[in-house]
Amino acid sequence: MRALFAWRTPEWRRLAAVLPLVWSAVACGGGSTLPPAAPAFRDRLIFAAAADATTLDPHNTTDTESDQAIMMVYEPLIAFDDSMKIVPRLAERWNVEPDGVTWTFHLRKGVTFHDGTPLDAEAVRQNFARVLDPVANHKRISLFSMIARVEVVDPLTVRIVTKYPFGAFEPTIAHVSSAIVSPVVATAKGKAFGSTADAVSGTGPYRVASWKKDQELVLERYEGYWGTKGATRQIVYRPIPEAAARVLALESGDVDVISRIPATDIPRLEASTSIAVHKLPGVGAQQFRFNVTKKPYTDARVRQAVSYAINRPAIVKNLVASFARPSTSALTSIMRGYANLGEIPYDPDRARQLLREAGYPNGFTTKIATTPRYPMGVELAEAVASDLKKVGITAAIEVYDWATMVQFWAGLPPARNPQEIFIMGAGASTADADWGLRPIFQTAPTNENNYGYYSNAEFDRVIDAAMRETDAATRQALYTRAQQIVYLEDPGAVWLFDTLFSVASRTAVTGLRPQALGVVTFERAQVAGS
Amino acid sequence: MRLIGAAVLRLAPVLVVISLLVFSIVHLIPGDPAVIAAGLEASPATVDRIRRDLGLDRPVAVQYGRFVVRALQGDLGMSIRTGVPVGQEIRDRLPHTIVLAAGGVALAVGLGLVVGTGAALSRRVVVDRVLTAGSLLAASTPSYWLALMLMLVFSVSLGWLPAIGVGTPAHYVLPCMALGLQSAGAVARMTRASVRDVLGQDFLRAARAKGVAEWRVLVAHGLRNALLPVLSLVGLRIGGLLAGTVLVESVFAVPGVGRMMADAVVARDFPMVQGGVLVVAAMVVVVNALTEVMARALDPRVRG
Repeated sequence: MRALFAWRTPEWRRLAAVLPLVWSAVACGGGSTLPPAAPAFRDRLIFAAAADATTLDPHNTTDTESDQAIMMVYEPLIAFDDSMKIVPRLAERWNVEPDGVTWTFHLRKGVTFHDGTPLDAEAVRQNFARVLDPVANHKRISLFSMIARVEVVDPLTVRIVTKYPFGAFEPTIAHVSSAIVSPVVATAKGKAFGSTADAVSGTGPYRVASWKKDQELVLERYEGYWGTKGATRQIVYRPIPEAAARVLALESGDVDVISRIPATDIPRLEASTSIAVHKLPGVGAQQFRFNVTKKPYTDARVRQAVSYAINRPAIVKNLVASFARPSTSALTSIMRGYANLGEIPYDPDRARQLLREAGYPNGFTTKIATTPRYPMGVELAEAVASDLKKVGITAAIEVYDWATMVQFWAGLPPARNPQEIFIMGAGASTADADWGLRPIFQTAPTNENNYGYYSNAEFDRVIDAAMRETDAATRQALYTRAQQIVYLEDPGAVWLFDTLFSVASRTAVTGLRPQALGVVTFERAQVAGS
Repeated sequence: MRLIGAAVLRLAPVLVVISLLVFSIVHLIPGDPAVIAAGLEASPATVDRIRRDLGLDRPVAVQYGRFVVRALQGDLGMSIRTGVPVGQEIRDRLPHTIVLAAGGVALAVGLGLVVGTGAALSRRVVVDRVLTAGSLLAASTPSYWLALMLMLVFSVSLGWLPAIGVGTPAHYVLPCMALGLQSAGAVARMTRASVRDVLGQDFLRAARAKGVAEWRVLVAHGLRNALLPVLSLVGLRIGGLLAGTVLVESVFAVPGVGRMMADAVVARDFPMVQGGVLVVAAMVVVVNALTEVMARALDPRVRG
């Protein structure tokens, strides 16, 4: 394809010269002069995501594009390192009392927000008061529902007391939405905090220099940063919504890094010598979930049968090989609490056997709901349907746009959700078993985030116990049991594959930090050249 | 002048009807903006609070009433997704869309007239055939595909023009081409037919008989009359061109009103969709009024 257009012959140039429009534009656009003595690295890096950040208020964000910019500008008390271990950040050290509910954080000295406000214990207290304020109604309020109170011990010591011993406390405090914002700017800007460049102030290695919505967000190195200062002076976020255009912009060198690479382009980019594709296991997994209130999915044997009937190796190989690995549990391997339960084997005979036992020797008809919002969403549903056909289950596929799809899920009572099997991307933003299992499979009065109305008494008990358990070994044993129940014995979903997080960059770029949480940050990134 | 005044008067009822239509449509299609804004990890209580904050728990008629009252005061509401006032968002983005649309029209008219006239006047069949086939090809090329091809050729392979974003005039060249080439094809075909038609008319022969110079015959007598149908075609295509900005702005990452509306529909960001459609509809009405004025100026028969 590219060879076809790669002619740089004089004829080609003369031909183009007749298009005066093009020519004049080249004349005004190409006015750059030769650079002075070329530095080893450029002073800016350009990153193209699929969308602009919706807000730079960490307490009010739920989308990846906002999160990854927020992680450059703000910092939590503690944070995940590249191997998902929890390490000090704004807190130098921290400890928990034997009661399991009292956590003390000792803050780093001499940290200032971008607006000059010093970081102290009172600032931290005001932050948690802000995210928990029911009137302000920030989107992340439910993440912090276990916090009872936050107290200032002395200017550099803050104490957080939880309502009960909470096993996932540290990953929650390391979550991007636990990031500490400048209380001075947050109070001054009120509801507008995070919506414009001058309504943002954190302690992170970069501050916001300018922000034109959907055009570019410019982050500039914060010279007053307490730690290692940012490697490149400017990081520019330039959203490109159209996937094919994003890839072309990387290939033409208009941008240095892109995320959300179309699955079909990954092999081609990997083959290119000027482009590097970085892939790593993340928290994401692709499932098809059961609505267990709909017959015949009330019967666990039917759900097992569906799971055995699906030829996962073929699906992974033929459709998603470039960004998927077979699932081995209800959680992905990098999450806290994960237990390796092995891949579900492709076993149509066992599926037929289970269907006979459940009283469906001739199969049944069902519906699969899907959305193209997930990569290959429609193709995956088609593959699952064709596998189910082989064991006698006839599945009709319904394709919805995202907005329609989520309406079937959020806040409905079981009787109102018409879906039977539906696609779902899982990915707990704390990388912990609690957030990865509790909201989506624990029995709830309304569906909360348990959109399949899954309910298993033993699972509920185990999850409750695990949530309050702070001893690591006991906690792991409980979560292993929970995964055995929901993945094998009484399956709540068909886990198809774990999703790899991938970003692509020009080979001149070094020091990228793609993270398992599905975000990429640039504090160490550099672009060679001038 | 009177004509422009009449057009503005006509604008009011059109906008009322459009606002009613848009409001009904966005509320009829499935999808709950509060759910989308809250994200999948939020609790139903959070979603309920967001819905109340946005006033989405009120009856649709009440919501429409509030929308109209506020819109009359110049307030189009706040974006559900980003919390930014819709009016401000449109003000920031409209210049990009206007530049794109104007560039697209200029290209359509300029290239279309030159190619169409060239084909009509050409004495060599080959030239006419090539130009006509070219315009047919341009008129039938989908702008999405064209946009990606332009990017592939001029940005990736040749490296002449930036592929995405805005900033310098060069950034607008490829989007304007993607937007305008289809219309240029249509204009060229219409021009060719119309010029051919006029060339055979008696008044041209009369002009030549009077001894008028050949170039004057063609331009002052021929083209002027041939332009009328072309002008009405361009007027009709403005709406389509503005619709095209939705696609072209998304592909070339131009932060205009079209892309804003596309994102808003996906997120069911009702105020943004309503504001965007109202503004674009107003533009179409104004531009159509202008073409009418121009048509009258060109044609003495309809000059009042």
